[in-house]
Amino acid sequence: MSAAFAAIWLPANPNAAISLAAGQILSALNFFFLARLVKLFTGSARMEDRGTAESMRGKGLLLGGAKLAVVYGGAFAVTRWRGIEYLPLMLGLSMPLLAIFLKSIMLALPAGAAKFSRRATSTASPSRSQAKLAASILLVGALTLPLALLGPARAFANDPPAAATAAEAGHADGSAAATTAEAGQGEAAHGEEGKGESGEAHLPNWITIANDYAPNNPVVHWMHENEFLVFAWLAGAIFLILVKVVMKRSAPVPGHLQNAIEWIVESMEDVCGGMLGKHLPKYFPFIMAIFFYILFMNLIGIIPGFKSSTSNVDVTLALALVTFLSVQVSGMINLGPLGYLDHLAGSPRDVIGFCMLPVMIPVHVLGELVKPVSLSCRLFGNIFGEDTLIVVFVGVAAFCLKASLLALAVPPMAGITALFMLLQTLTAIVQALIFSLLTTVYLYMMIPHESHAHEEGGHAH
Amino acid sequence: MNFAATLGLALPIGIGLAAIGSGIGLGFMGRGAMEAMGRQPEVLPKIQVAMIIGFGFIEALTIYAFVTMFILSGKIQ
Repeated sequence: MSAAFAAIWLPANPNAAISLAAGQILSALNFFFLARLVKLFTGSARMEDRGTAESMRGKGLLLGGAKLAVVYGGAFAVTRWRGIEYLPLMLGLSMPLLAIFLKSIMLALPAGAAKFSRRATSTASPSRSQAKLAASILLVGALTLPLALLGPARAFANDPPAAATAAEAGHADGSAAATTAEAGQGEAAHGEEGKGESGEAHLPNWITIANDYAPNNPVVHWMHENEFLVFAWLAGAIFLILVKVVMKRSAPVPGHLQNAIEWIVESMEDVCGGMLGKHLPKYFPFIMAIFFYILFMNLIGIIPGFKSSTSNVDVTLALALVTFLSVQVSGMINLGPLGYLDHLAGSPRDVIGFCMLPVMIPVHVLGELVKPVSLSCRLFGNIFGEDTLIVVFVGVAAFCLKASLLALAVPPMAGITALFMLLQTLTAIVQALIFSLLTTVYLYMMIPHESHAHEEGGHAH
Repeated sequence: MNFAATLGLALPIGIGLAAIGSGIGLGFMGRGAMEAMGRQPEVLPKIQVAMIIGFGFIEALTIYAFVTMFILSGKIQ
């Protein structure tokens, strides 16, 4: 994949492409030598009879010397070359690191899941979680729809007549019309603020490369304008394919992938079930769809050449508005119109409560309105912050490379970047968890509480 | 002192103050959660969930400052 990444860039920007390839090769060589060294020494510790310690030491010195010569010499030679571009080189250096890192996550996740889910799989039948996953698929489709309509609205925000047509198209759509219209308004309001942050440095991704390659192609240009939308679709598509594969190959004894997903679904079910009680089956697919969608959108940003769509306010705002509307509508359904008004008024039960009514109603309404803002800002801020952090670190490493004497500091910098990518993974998972858990909490607030208390009593048995 | 200079001084200090406040809040929260977990390990999952949600709320305050910084930082010329 990384080779193709470099190759596509070649005609448009040859220097950058060569830098990228050089970085990849150097880093891969580095890892190759490291692996050989480690294997040599651990092997010698285990099997003394294979060779004498002296020859081992000689081999180790030889390998170490070769590594130093090839890798650092190569790095030095690359920095001597005039046409070099440093950001792509750093990206290339970090790519093999990332491949190893992602592989380790892939290995660690199912292993951990297998350990944890021994207990869970014995109690829950696989078909139940599959049904939930199927429902989640449908809901992801529903979630992507407003996003899909939101993207064009963003593109047309500068052009009022076009925006009007976009809004009309949204109304014609029917099911998602309300969401889209509101999201579009939020969009228009946000349009002016968004201008300020456009000067931010970004790592190159597939779409910017394609745009370098064919700047006049309308499709590529559209994708470049709406890259967050494209990556959001991509995340949704990956999720759909993954779940489809898992469901098709579902076995009584689950494999790695199925086990991992079932573990996630079942532990989330435990957590949400504690809050929602008997209302769980109604809302669980929605919560899980949000969780997986956000999770995949967050995690996709770690792969080089891709970008988290959640590092854009528009996307998180759309997600938060979907959550907000579903919470309000479910509140009206669950509590009834009068009960909903009662909830908004803070459930007055005595004289003092009714006297406080003019104060309490605005406070509660404001409290409801702040929820989507806080949800979207939290998700956006975290993901965007992590992304910016990594861009800054890659930039620092590139600066070290530019001052060629500091070139030896580059491999540690790449390591630090990889560490921050670990942090980014953690943030991605935790933020998806927080978003879906807060959705659960908001839904729980909209459930009639006496029935919930009863259910809690039953649940404890 | 003009507007840009004021903004340039105030934004980092504001983020720092927000981070200090959030740090104190997270400290209290983590301490309470850890003590509760140590006292009653059997309700550990429930405490963890509540802790993570609380962390989300507290952390959001710093994030607000962060977002505000990004909105306003374009005005420093």
